[in-house]
Formats: sequence, structure tokens, C-alpha cells
Amino acid sequence: MSLKLLSANHGAGLAATLAGRANRTGRGFCSGVYPITPSTECMEYLCLQEIEKGRVVKVESEHSAMAVCIGAAAAGARSFTTTSSNGLAYMAENCIAAAYLRLPVVMAVANRTIGPPWNIWADHGDALMLRDHGLIQFYCADNQELFDTVLAAFRLAEDPAVMMPAMVCMEGFILSHTVAQIDVPDQALVDAFLPTTTVPHRLGEAPHALGQIDLPHQTEMHRHQHLSAMNGAARVYAGIQDEFEHIFGRRLGDAVVPYRADDAETLIVSMGTIGATAERVVDQLRAQGQKVGALRVRLFRPLPSEAIRAWFAGKQRIAVIDRDVSLGFGGVLWGEVNSLADPGTVVQSYLAGLGGGDVRPEHIVNMLADLQPRKNAGHPAMMEAA
Amino acid sequence: MKNDLPREASASGLENLSLPLEVRVHGRGGQGGVTCAKLIASLYTQMGLHVQTFGDYGSERSGAPIQAFTRVDRQPISNRNKVYQPDHLIVLDEALMGPQVLSGTAAGALLLLNTRSRLDAFAGQFEDYRFGAIDATAIAREHGIGSSSVVIINTTILGAYARLLGVPLSALEKAYASLGLSGDLAAAEHAYDQVQIRDPRPETAGATARGATTWQPVLPPVLPLTEHHTDLPATLKTGTWSTQAPRYREHAAPCNQACPAGNDIRGFIQALKNEGADAAARVLLRTQALPSVCGRVCPAPCMQGCNREAFDGAVNIRSLERWIADHSDVTLERQSTDTPRRFAVIGGGPAGLSASYQLARRGHAVTLYDAGPGLGGVLRNGIPAYRLPPDVLQRDVDRIVSLGVDTRLNARLDRDALARLPDEVDALLLCTGLGPALKLGVEGETLPGVEQGLDFLDQAKQGQVTLQGRVVVVGGGNTAIDCARTALRCGATSVKLVYRRSREEMPAIAEEIDAAEFEGVRLVLQRQPVAFTGNGNVSAVVLAEVEPGAPDASGRRQPVVSSRTSTLDCDTVLLALGQGAMADVLPDDWQIRNGRVWRGDAALPVWLAGDCANGDGTVTHAIGNGRRTALAALSWLESGLDGGVPTGDKNGENPVAPGQIRFSHFDVAPPHRDKESPPSVRRNSFDECNHGLAGPEEAERCFSCGQCTHCDTCLIYCPEGVIARAGDGYRIDADYCKGCGMCVAECPRSAMEMHEKNKQEVSSCL
Repeated sequence: MSLKLLSANHGAGLAATLAGRANRTGRGFCSGVYPITPSTECMEYLCLQEIEKGRVVKVESEHSAMAVCIGAAAAGARSFTTTSSNGLAYMAENCIAAAYLRLPVVMAVANRTIGPPWNIWADHGDALMLRDHGLIQFYCADNQELFDTVLAAFRLAEDPAVMMPAMVCMEGFILSHTVAQIDVPDQALVDAFLPTTTVPHRLGEAPHALGQIDLPHQTEMHRHQHLSAMNGAARVYAGIQDEFEHIFGRRLGDAVVPYRADDAETLIVSMGTIGATAERVVDQLRAQGQKVGALRVRLFRPLPSEAIRAWFAGKQRIAVIDRDVSLGFGGVLWGEVNSLADPGTVVQSYLAGLGGGDVRPEHIVNMLADLQPRKNAGHPAMMEAA
Repeated sequence: MKNDLPREASASGLENLSLPLEVRVHGRGGQGGVTCAKLIASLYTQMGLHVQTFGDYGSERSGAPIQAFTRVDRQPISNRNKVYQPDHLIVLDEALMGPQVLSGTAAGALLLLNTRSRLDAFAGQFEDYRFGAIDATAIAREHGIGSSSVVIINTTILGAYARLLGVPLSALEKAYASLGLSGDLAAAEHAYDQVQIRDPRPETAGATARGATTWQPVLPPVLPLTEHHTDLPATLKTGTWSTQAPRYREHAAPCNQACPAGNDIRGFIQALKNEGADAAARVLLRTQALPSVCGRVCPAPCMQGCNREAFDGAVNIRSLERWIADHSDVTLERQSTDTPRRFAVIGGGPAGLSASYQLARRGHAVTLYDAGPGLGGVLRNGIPAYRLPPDVLQRDVDRIVSLGVDTRLNARLDRDALARLPDEVDALLLCTGLGPALKLGVEGETLPGVEQGLDFLDQAKQGQVTLQGRVVVVGGGNTAIDCARTALRCGATSVKLVYRRSREEMPAIAEEIDAAEFEGVRLVLQRQPVAFTGNGNVSAVVLAEVEPGAPDASGRRQPVVSSRTSTLDCDTVLLALGQGAMADVLPDDWQIRNGRVWRGDAALPVWLAGDCANGDGTVTHAIGNGRRTALAALSWLESGLDGGVPTGDKNGENPVAPGQIRFSHFDVAPPHRDKESPPSVRRNSFDECNHGLAGPEEAERCFSCGQCTHCDTCLIYCPEGVIARAGDGYRIDADYCKGCGMCVAECPRSAMEMHEKNKQEVSSCL
């Protein structure tokens, strides 16, 4: 183990490199990459690495980058890519293909506002676009968590009971470009954590096409299998947490991260770095005697509904902060968790930090001041945070 | 001046550090502000502290204001917000300094400013801060960090920061090594020594950064939840972020710069391409009196300069000029002038014809004297008909004469007549060419059968020569080649050309040498005749071997004649050794100084033009010099100022180089070659053997180096879509041009450039 000063982008690239090397006794590593701000640094880092039995392929588009990953994973290699924003939108068709082909590709997504008009800053709306099509989604809050989650994502995606792509998301610039210490494990530890990739349905000696036509009853069966695998992924993840701790000596973050939530009357629910800011607000308000707690959703797909429901039980008010908006609806996270609260709990949607606005503790304090007198949830409320 | 502070203020620098610590760096894109914050983070990492550092990225373009932040603490840092209340503020660009930069910076904070001013210039300013002033730009420039236009100062200014913190310089070493910047440590040390430091005023000295009474909170407001919906966002004029802007600017074309006649080659080719031969002729005829001639016999230095040579072969410019001359009968009209002058021009060769043409078409009275029976000089009696048919020459001569030039043929002026002429006219131009042909000065040179090549060519042009047997031509210039090829046409059994240097060193036009060999002329190189022998008629030439000797002042190796000789049998020898200086025909009291004639201390209105002035030796040089001399004389008559005769039309600007052409925007298309007669029909014929181009398509190959062709590439490549067609060109919307420079980089022909915006143009908004 050694402490390294790395940006989250470089941390993701390094985690992928270590994971790639760990598969050197198997079918190796192959990554298709194409640059887009703010994920570019991650692919640049990857391109500069020497990976035994590995190759980083620079292609002409995000769509092709994922196509390379699909080909690599279908041939049994460990595979990784990274992108952002409209790049992810362009890649989306093949992301979905990778998911329905049940290929364990891992992606680092540096979340960026979808344009036009062009905006390079953070917004979760790009990754959330893919929430319904069979990809695992993590949202991270700091460099170490991002690094650890990328490693864990390979293990989870490649688990025979899961076998699907995993996205590890970090807010563009706020996290992707922030440099901080990362505790980087030795290769031997990563080798111990990540077994050789095995894709059961990988292309072998006999040529055949993947993803040929499905009749209705077959599709029903495939969806059922995928849904079961998704639902089982949370349980698999819990096992990976234990193994991760056993090998690396630190605990991998839970699917849902509570903060002083046990006796809280009011909960702040969010994803990504806003969750870290919410924890600072909790400390501030607790010091004033207010019973406030926070919940950070790290694993968004599969959504740990039962855990969230358990944390929601008995709460009076819940503020759900989304750095995204589902137009015509409200916050995406809010829509997901709204039904998990007790009847009578006020679950209010707040939209903040859209387009990369700096969400400060004062903003969250103001939201809670808005929430406090509410008897019922109202329309989603948008807060400007320049 | 060095400060009094000890260099090793503390072992680790941690003693005075109050944690958590927040650092904010202000700079402009390209100055390295984000790396500066990373280096600071790395510095504190060496002290075993937790760090977090990030940039506040705006637009990724140079010059845009940027901020970068570093947080330091003993425990992991969970604050994900920007730094609004810095304990340390580092400003890389003094021009950014203002309330917005200082916002949130409390009394007692540390302020480090990159400035050209010395500390005492800041009396009364920043007194609440521990203030450091350093000229990091000068130090970084001295240490060669960055480029001459963009000096990168981040590594330099950190030396000053370390000094302000009181940490030893050695603490920087690991930080710099971690980012591969160890080479910049010397500059950091320089700044460490040079930084001037002033402590805060006593009343604020004890105040800590946080909670100090003078602290003005300047956090951005938190708007109520209901407010923003009705606010229309202010227009974001991204053009204000840039410090550079593109503009359209014509650059010199290499062909134009290379043309001795001063022709606008790019202009006439583009006119031919876009509007046809008549439009092209109107451009060409402004400077070129003899386009039919030059389109055939010019050595075409323009083609050697052509940028297309580095791509797929130079544009066949000479033949395009010929095509225009052969396919247009346009004549530029004689203009009228309010101050008509009288000129006498002596000599009807290329220089005299060019001078007469330029003066006559401007409405002046010109009398052109020539000693021969027709106009043209060397064009008429020197250049063989197979290269320049007489009717072609006559066409150009007729165009000149038709402008009203009064021609006096068979008029050889003696000294007295010359001496009188300046009183009869306003100005006199002497264009009498070179003097008599040079001789070898060796034994047997006077034998019958040893002739001067120029005489031979003159007689051949009049159809008065038949040759038999073996001919030896001596010389390596165009006259020698003309003699050799003419000898073949006059019946010679064999022709050998003897030259004392190598083929590459022959002054003749390369294509002419090729044509001579193609027709059967044999080159005998590195040989020098040392004697001619024969009983009665010459029957052999004794050749000595020549070795290249030491280079002369021009770098050309001087031939050294050895004693090893051989004999070459022959029946005729033609000498083509060049011509001497102008014959001594001037009145006794005329002296030549700087191309002009003087009598004692008085400048006479008499100029020399063409070969007799400078001996450049090509038709094209003579045409250019004739024009420029005529215009200089005219200018002197009108203004009384003697600006001299310029040697060319160059304006001192470097022409567009191949590296400035975007070859990738052009398709490979080899040059269109001239149609040539086969050797079988050339041998006994003086018919023109080069038939020029089949059509004007060669003009399509011109890159138009340095001149906009309205190809729309800039418009197509502009990522902001702010370039639009307007009038005869393009308009760039400065409000939204980010100054990325893509249009300039993509311009296929270097017809654009970037320029630094001035202070009014640059917004210093944050």
C-alpha cells in the first residue's frame, strides 16, 4: 500500500490498470477509449500505462469505444472505458448492448451536464439516462471511494451471478479533477481480490453471433434473468465488501451510507459529493440541537430499496437533493425513493447544483428551512447555486 | 536585494501553520495556476498532511481567468466546495487584482502577488495582509520556463510562497519531483531569495484569518427557492474571455517574392482560375511588358519558390503566363496624365522595352532608340526561334509600341548625341545591355572556325548559317545551350558542350539543359579549353581537366585547371563565355554612381537600367529593373526625391512557407506538363518545340498562398459558428469568438493570423 496524490480521474485509470494487470493469467485486458471533458484525463492516464497482456485502443468515437469493450469482453477479456455527458449519450446504444449481452464491462463516468447549450460541469443527468437498461450504477463522493469502487465494480460485474456492466460515477471536476491522497494497494493484493475474468458465454473457437433475435417468450425469460441478477447484485456486493476489507484492510462503502440518521427526525438524501456537504450540515444543525441526519445513496442500480425503506421508517421529513432533473417530473433520486417512506412522511424534491453549481451548506440549510413547516410535499423545488 | 529573514526559518514550517488551511490561486488560463495549487498540495503532503486540490475550470482557453484551490488539514477533507475565504491568496497576474480577487480574504491572511513593482510601490495597499511581492515572470523568463510568448510562472512563484510560509526551500524538492518539475527548482530558489515581504499592520497582525473584525463576508448569495424561475440568465459573451483574436490578413506569396519582374503571380493565376485569360492578362500587364516572351524563356524562380513543390510539384507558372499571353489580346489602356514628361530610352532590349511600356502607359512621351533594325535586343538576335518565335516577340513589341512609343531604329547614338539628349528630354534611360562577348585568351582562338556564339545565334536567326561536321560549344549558360541546340538545327553532325564545372553548377535553365541532352547534345563536364589547333581551320580543341578548388566568397568552388589534357576533334567551335561590362560609350564627363549618371556633383536626369546597370543576365531581371528604374525616374521628376532604384518589389515580409500551408486540405494533383515535339522533328527545324499547356487547368493547382480565396474553411471549422460570409469576405462575431485559433490553424493558405487583443478588447471579468 502506498499513499499517492492523484486526481479521481487518474485514480480510476490506475484502478483499471491494476485490475487489467490482475487478469494477465486470463484473457488479458482491453479498453476502448475516446476523450471527452471531464473524463479525458482518465483515458489519457490509461493510454500511458504498460499493461501486461493488455491493450488500450484509441478509437474515433464513444460508440466505438464501447464497441471495443463489447468485443473484448465477449472474447473473455477484462474491459474498461470512461466517458462523460453527450459522449455517454453517443455511447448509450452500445452501453445498452453490453448490458443486454450480459458483458461485465466497467465504466468510469465523470458526470457532466448534457448539452446543448454546452456546459462542462457536473450533473448526474448523463448517467441517470441509462438507469433502466441493466447496468449497475455507483455514485462516489471522494477519491479513495472512487478508486476502491472501480476495483470492486470489476469484481461485482464479473461475478457469475451478476455478469453485467457497471458504471462508477464521479461528478465532473468537483471529483474528477480534484487531487487528493489515494491509498493504492500493491498489485499482489489486487490479484488476490480480483479472480481471473470468466465470461461463461464468451466467444470460443466456433464462430457465432451474439444477440440474435429473441421471440417474446425468450425476451421475457432474458428480462427475468437480468432482473433477478440485478436484484441479487446487492447481496453479492455485501459479500465483496467483506472480502475487500479482508484483503485491503479498509471497509468498502455500503450501498447506502447513513450519517447520524438513527434518531434523526429529518433526513437529507442525496448522491455523490452533495452527500459529503449534507454531512457537514448535519453536524452544524446537530450542534444547534436539531435532529437531522443524512443518507447517501452510493449504489443506485440496483437500488437498495429495503435498506432505504428501513432508514426512512419513522422519519417526519425527508429532503431529497438531486443534481439532476427528470423534466416533466422532478428529481430522479426523489422519484426512486419517494415511495419507500412511511405514509405521512413529507418527502420533498429539491433540485440543486444543476450544471455544476457549487452546493454549499447554506443552500442545504435553506432547503431544510423550507421543508420544516411543510405539511405535505410540494412540487419539486429548484435552488440556484451558482 | 535580499531580505533579512533567515533562509531556514523553521525545520518543517509547521509551527506557524493554522489548520485547516485554505489556499486560493488566481491566474489566467495558460499560466499554470492549477498546477501551482497542485504543487502546494504536494508540498503539504510532504509534511504528512491531508490535502485536496482542484481547479475552478472555466473555459479551456488561454487568457481566461481561472481559480485553483488547495485545502490542507490533519484529517481527511470532506468539504467539496470552492474556497471562498482563503487563508493564503496567490495572484499570478497583477492585472486580475481587484475586489473580486480579494473577496473573502480576511485580515492577517497571506497575500502573494506576482508583480513587476517593488514592495514600496504598494504603500497603503494590502496593509492588513502578510504581503509578498515578487516578479516571478521576469525570473521564469530568465530561467527559460515556458516560451517567449507564454511564460509559465507557477514553479517560480512557489519559491516565494515557501519563503513567505517560512518553510525551507528543501521542502519544495520532493513536491517538484512528484510532478516532474525538478528542473524549475533553480527559478524557485531565485524567487525564494528575491521575494520582498511585508508584515501586516500591528493592529491586524494578531488577528487570525477567520473571525477577524475586518473580514467582509462575500459569499455568493443563497437565493430563496422561489426567486430564480423568473430571472432570465444574462447573455454570456464568450468573446470577452479571450486574449487573442483571429483576423484575415494577406501574407506574401513566395512566387511573388521570387519574381524578378515583380509580377503578381498569385494574382494573375487566381484571376485566370476565377475569371479567365483576359482578367489574368489585366493583372499581369501591370508589371509585365513581355508576357509572351517571359512565358517561354523565363528561368522561373517563382517555380522554385512555389510551396506546391513540397507537396506534389510546383505549379507550372511559366506556362500559365504563356497561356494567358497566347490566349488574350488585352492591352492596358494608355492613361492620361496632367504632367506629361518626355523620356528618351536608349536600347530596345527587354529593359528598354519594359521601361518604355511603363512610361507610355502612364501617358508620358517616350522615344525609344535602338542601334539595330528591329526592337527586342537579345530577344530578337540572341534567343533562337525554336524557343521564341519572332512573331511571338513581335506581338509583345507591338503592344508596347501601340501605346504611342516613338521608335527610332538603326539609331546608334555617339557620345555627342548622348551628351545633348538630357537637355532635350526630361529624363534619359540607358538600357544598352552588356558589352562585347568574352574571349578565352588561349592559343588558336583566332583560327577560322572558332566563333563567338552570340554572332552565330544572330546569323542563325537570320537564316544565314549552315553547319557541317562536329561542333564544340564552350560555356554553361543559356547562350551556350542555345548555341548547342541551334547548331544541331543548322546541320551539325554532333554537338558537344564543354563546361568547366559540374552539370548542377551550370547557370542555364535546367529544363533547357534537359532539352539539349534530349535532342542529342553531349555534355563534356569539368573540362576547360586550353588551346585550339588546326591547319587553316580549327580541327581540335585541347581540353584540360578541371578540379573543384576552394570555395570563393559566395561559397562556389573555384575551378582549378590541371595539367592533364586530352584532345577533342572538331570542325567548329562556338564560344559562349558571357559578356563583359557595358561598352564605353558614355560622354567623358559622365560618371555612374548607384545606377545613375552624374556630372561632377550634379545628378543628371540619366539612369541606367537592365544588364548595363546590374548585369543580372536574365530577361526577367531586365524587365523588372527597367520598370523600377522608369518609375524611380518618374518619381524623381515629380517629387525631386531620389529614393534610388529598388532591387525588387519585396516589402521585407517573409513569404508563406510550406509549413504554413495545410497540405491536408488539398488533393494530390501532379502538375500539367507542357506539350513537346519529339526530337525527330526538332533536328532540322526552328519551329517552336515547346507547345505549352493544353488548357488553363493548371491554375486550379495554385494554393493562393497567403491570400483568401473564400474557400469557407474558416467558416466550416469554427467550433462556435461565429464566422459568416459578409460582403467580399467574412465577418467574425467578436462577442462570441473565444480566440481558440482553429480558423487560423485550419486556413489552408495562411491568409489569417491571430493577434493579441488590446486592453480595451480584453475583459478582465471574473
